[in-house]
Parts: sequence; structure tokens; C-alpha cells
Amino acid sequence: MKLTIGHLYPDLLNLYGDRGNIQCLMKRCQWRGIEAETKTFEINDAIDFSSLDIVLLGGGSDREQKLVCSKLKRIREDFRQYVEDDGVVIAICGGFQLLGNYYATDDGVIEGLGLIDLETEQGKGYRLIDNIVLRSDLVSMPVVGFENHGGRTNIKKNKPFGKVIYGSGNDAQSGYEGVVYKNVIGTYLHGPLLPKNPQVCDYLIQKALERKYRKPVALAKLDDTQEEEANAYIYNRFKGKTSRPQKQEQLV
Amino acid sequence: MMLRRIAAVWASKAAAKICKLLGKQGVTWAGKIALMIDPDILSHLAGAVREKIFVVCGTNGKTTTNNLLCAALEAQKKKVVCNHTGSNMLNGCAAAFVLQAGWNAKLDADYACIEVDEASALRIFPHFRPDYMILTNLFRDQLDRYGEIDITMNLVRDAMNLAPGMKVIVNADDALSAFVTMESGNPYVTYGIGEKVFEESINEIKEGRFCKKCGAKMEYHFYHFSQLGDYYCSACDFKRPYIRYNASMIETGDHLAFTVEGRRITANYRGFYNIYNILAAYAAAREAGFALENFQEVLDAYRPENGRMEHFLIRGTQIILNLAKNPAGFNQNISAVMEDKRKKDIIILINDNDQDGTDVSWLWDVDFDRFCADNINSIVVSGIRCQDMRLRLKYVDIPSELEPDVEKAIRERIANGCKNLYVLVNYTGLYSTHNILKKIAGESK
Repeated sequence: MKLTIGHLYPDLLNLYGDRGNIQCLMKRCQWRGIEAETKTFEINDAIDFSSLDIVLLGGGSDREQKLVCSKLKRIREDFRQYVEDDGVVIAICGGFQLLGNYYATDDGVIEGLGLIDLETEQGKGYRLIDNIVLRSDLVSMPVVGFENHGGRTNIKKNKPFGKVIYGSGNDAQSGYEGVVYKNVIGTYLHGPLLPKNPQVCDYLIQKALERKYRKPVALAKLDDTQEEEANAYIYNRFKGKTSRPQKQEQLV
Repeated sequence: MMLRRIAAVWASKAAAKICKLLGKQGVTWAGKIALMIDPDILSHLAGAVREKIFVVCGTNGKTTTNNLLCAALEAQKKKVVCNHTGSNMLNGCAAAFVLQAGWNAKLDADYACIEVDEASALRIFPHFRPDYMILTNLFRDQLDRYGEIDITMNLVRDAMNLAPGMKVIVNADDALSAFVTMESGNPYVTYGIGEKVFEESINEIKEGRFCKKCGAKMEYHFYHFSQLGDYYCSACDFKRPYIRYNASMIETGDHLAFTVEGRRITANYRGFYNIYNILAAYAAAREAGFALENFQEVLDAYRPENGRMEHFLIRGTQIILNLAKNPAGFNQNISAVMEDKRKKDIIILINDNDQDGTDVSWLWDVDFDRFCADNINSIVVSGIRCQDMRLRLKYVDIPSELEPDVEKAIRERIANGCKNLYVLVNYTGLYSTHNILKKIAGESK
């Protein structure tokens, strides 16, 4: 079996650690004898979505997102078909925001892909920056990561990725984080997300294989002791505590 | 008023002494207490500096550059105020002046060399206007504090605008630093490495792939490391500026050498990035009017300390302690370690305290796969986030041992290692690890 991962626009969207998600997807395929290949697309490249099994859309600064969004219109229809056809997508941070209709910043509105009915507005006062812990229906382990976003996202009637145990989540109010739509996960979690959450990584791999080979797939078990210990450390450190993101100027 | 100032100085000095007795780094407290008692003390003491005030700003290389500049000025028989330890926020900066003042709250200093945190510059410059700023580079670092590198750039530019007469001595090879400097409108002068040094650049995450001026893609004639190199915009006129202090005929490896203004300069330690530190200090002192005939002597006498390529020899084990706190710095560290062809043990300590940055995602942007070599004897991971570090190495197929207690890790490697040990630590591990090494060195004397 073989999976092809499409890494979208790492030339612009490569904030902290996205490379770790790619590395994790690749390794967890290869350790099981599944062939894995990553295709990198820069901003002016044409993308053949039918050749891709997993799409990773990473995070970037607000300024860089603006540069990306001006180019996104060209791929919007192909991307939508891929998503509607159960294509697997993991969109992190800025990538999560771009899945939605728009991101309204103080400097203007960044138009999104409109693949999922969600919207983001720039928060007042401060960015939501802290470790974060979730419970997600998709996996049995807690989901741990780090969030760092100025935007507050309203996922409307969509299903969230997880319930916030510690941290702020989509908008610091709803108690939920991220979004799940078909085989798309959008989330603010980096850290990076996948290495410390191997079950989320395997969920993506399994969905991608089942879609590609049109049959149920059971992934071989890996020795995840180190992953589980890293995950448990964060979970135990923050569970039961209250996150208080600080105003950035207080830290200066 | 004078009484209040004297009280501030005495209280501050006492606080620093007490912290020292307790084995704690007390500089920040000393500064905080001084400013609480006399909010004007920093502007007053800075105003007493007879000649010029330098600040050193930028992501990496601040402490080494600043200490080198201080050493160069002291070699000219000047009295210099300097925050040697690298406490570079408002309190640490105030402490540098206060602790150097006499018990009568008078300061006797010709120059000040103050390293300043990129974000804190905005809080410090209202107290005094520096004459010069060295801007070393801007890399992604502590994004949990700044949010995004664009925000850091804006903070630095705003600080420059607070001191419009301040001349910026800027690293021309860094497009981000050069852009910020030009955008500020401040007078500036450049230093850099004009020639191509490396045949291939490592596969690093690079900042600023797109022109900050117009948004088009940046092109490079060559890279030195990270985004440093000879850049030009594919669409507009933004490009690497003319280099006033240009280092040429570069040698790098087990020692460093380069030529600037017709002078051959050598240093007996590793780390290509140190060429920038030396060059920046050189350029700054030259700008202030010094001929610097004795600069080589200054370098020869300079001993890296405070965990910047700091050497220890303990029971036959050679130990180098070095700070590695962000991807650009860590990648340069890995280059320096790998230039040593002997067998080696490595201890990596990763903390996630506030001063380190609470987000350790950056570990995945470091090219650790370059540690996959025959001459790596062992890797031990330590510190608060040792498990993240171990996982990071697992995903490039490099096994490591977990030992959260760095003192145990160091003692074990001295006893059972291959006698050549590198200890790479991020910020808050630096002071404690330095003290642990001093302590162990003391025991074996």
C-alpha cells in the first residue's frame, strides 16, 4: 500500500513545527511497511488533488496568510471536490482558518476557501497562547498540543475536533476546539500535533487508506511508549488547571 | 531626590548580594527593586555616561557580541557599563547601571554596552536614547511570547523610531534586519559576509521567504545559514545592501578566520555564527571612532563564558557547554558539534519556562537528523521537556536516553562516556548547568 501526502505551501505556511506533522505521517506509514511520499506544493504550483491521499495545510503569520489567500481561488473548486469526496485533510492554525469563509482582521478581511462553514475574527486584546489539552471522540488518548492564535473561530453547527480540558480552544468561550468535517480535521493545535498524538496520526492514515483502497483497514500496532509518555506528561501537568493566557505586553 | 536614588542603589546592591549568597541569579531582582524605589534611576545613570551608549539587539548572538564590544572598549582603557550575564529586559538593563554605580549613586563610566531584548527595547528607550544599536539578526524565537516574527519586526522598528538619531549597525546578510532598519529611517551602517562560504546549504526552515517590502518571492545568490545570505527580491529593488564592514577569506572549522578592512582576524573556537558576533563588535567599535589596532589581542584574551561555547575539563573529560534556544541557533550548534570529528557524547536539555518560551514546537524545526553519524557515542535528553526531545529524535531514527536530572546525566557521562562531551541547553537551563559544571569541576580539583 502507498500514501501520497500533499504539503501545501510550506514556503508560506510553515510556522513552528509543521514539518513534524509530515515526518510523523511518513514514519508511521513506513514503520508499518506502507510506502509514503510527500509532495510539496509552492504557492504558484498546480495541484492535482486526485493524486493526493492526505493534504496538510499548515499555519502562517497573518501577513503570509494574506499572500496565500490571494492565490487560493484557483484551487478552491478542486479542493472542494477532494473534501466532498472524503479526501483526508489536516489543517493547522492558519490552515484551519483558511478552510472557513473568512478571517476578519483589523487590517481587513482575508477570504478563505469556504470549504467548511466557519468564520474567524481577530480577537480583542491578546492572542490565545498556551499549552492545550482536549478530549476528542476520534481517539481514546487525550489530545495535547500548543495553541497560539489571535483569531477567534466560530464553527457554527459543525462538529468540533475536541472538548477543551485545558486551554482556550476556538474562541476561548465555547469550550470546544477545532472542527471535524467528513475526513477533514481543522485545529489550532501545533506542538506539533501528530507526534504527541499518535492516535490522531493513525486516524488520518487509516481514513486515507480506506478511501484509497475502498476496504476496511486495520493498522498494525506500533510501540508508542515514548509517544504515550510525552502525551501523558502534558496531560498530567495541565489537567484540572485553568489556562489564563496573558496579554502579550505583560510579558514584554 | 538624591536620597531616594541612594536608597535605590543600596537596596539593589543588597538584593544582588543576597541572591548571590543563595546561589541565585539576582540581577533581575536588583533592577526591579531599584526602579521601584526610584523610577528615574535608569535615565539618570544612563545620562551620566560620558561618551556613547551602545545597545545590542537581535535574536541570536547578543551576549557574545555585547561582551566582545565591551572587552574591545575596555582594552582602550575605557570604563564600560555592561550587562554581561545577558539579563536584557528592563530590570536587567537597569541593574547593569545600578550595580556599577558607587554607594553614593554616582556612575563613573565612559561607555555603556547593553544588550536589549527585542521586545523590551520599547520599554527601555524611554529611559535613555542609545547612540548606536547593533542589530544582529531576526530569527523565529519564542513565538509564544511574540506571536509571530512579523510582530517582533514591528517591535524593533518601533523602538528605532523612539530614538531617531540612533545609528543602527546592521547585519546586511539578514533581509529581515536590513528591512526593518531601512524602514525605520534611522541612519545605518552595515556588516556582513559578502562571499559564498558553503557549497551546500542545509535543509533548514527559512524565515522571510517573501520580500517584506513587496511580497514577491526572495531569491538568493547563496545562503550562509538560515535566511542569512546574499538575497534579492524577484520583483522590486530590495536586495542585500552594500556591506561597509565586509568579512572575506573566511575559514571555518576547528578555528575561525576572516579579513576585514585588510586585517586578518582569527579566533580559536568553533561556530561559523561567531564570525558575525566578532564582526559586529568590530564594526561598532570602529563606528565609535576607535582604530582597533589591538583587536586581535582583545579576541585572544576573550574567553567565552556564561555557556557560550564555554570549556570545562573535568576528570579527563572535555566538556563544552553551549546555549541553543531556537532553530537557527541550534542548527549552528549542530554544525559546530559535527565539525569536531572525534567521538562524542551529547546531552540536550530542553526546558519550557517562560524565559525559554513555553512552546517547544521549534524542536521539530531543528535539523537533528544531522546527529545521525558514527562519531556520536550517545545522546542523553534532559530538562523539563526531555520527553518531547526524545520523541523528536525518535522520528529521525536516533535513539536517546532519558535523564530529567541534568546533574545526574553529566556525572554519568563524565564517568562512563567517551571523554568528549557537549552539553546543549536552552535558556533557563544555562545558569544552573553552568553552576553544576563549576561545582563538579571544583570537586575534582
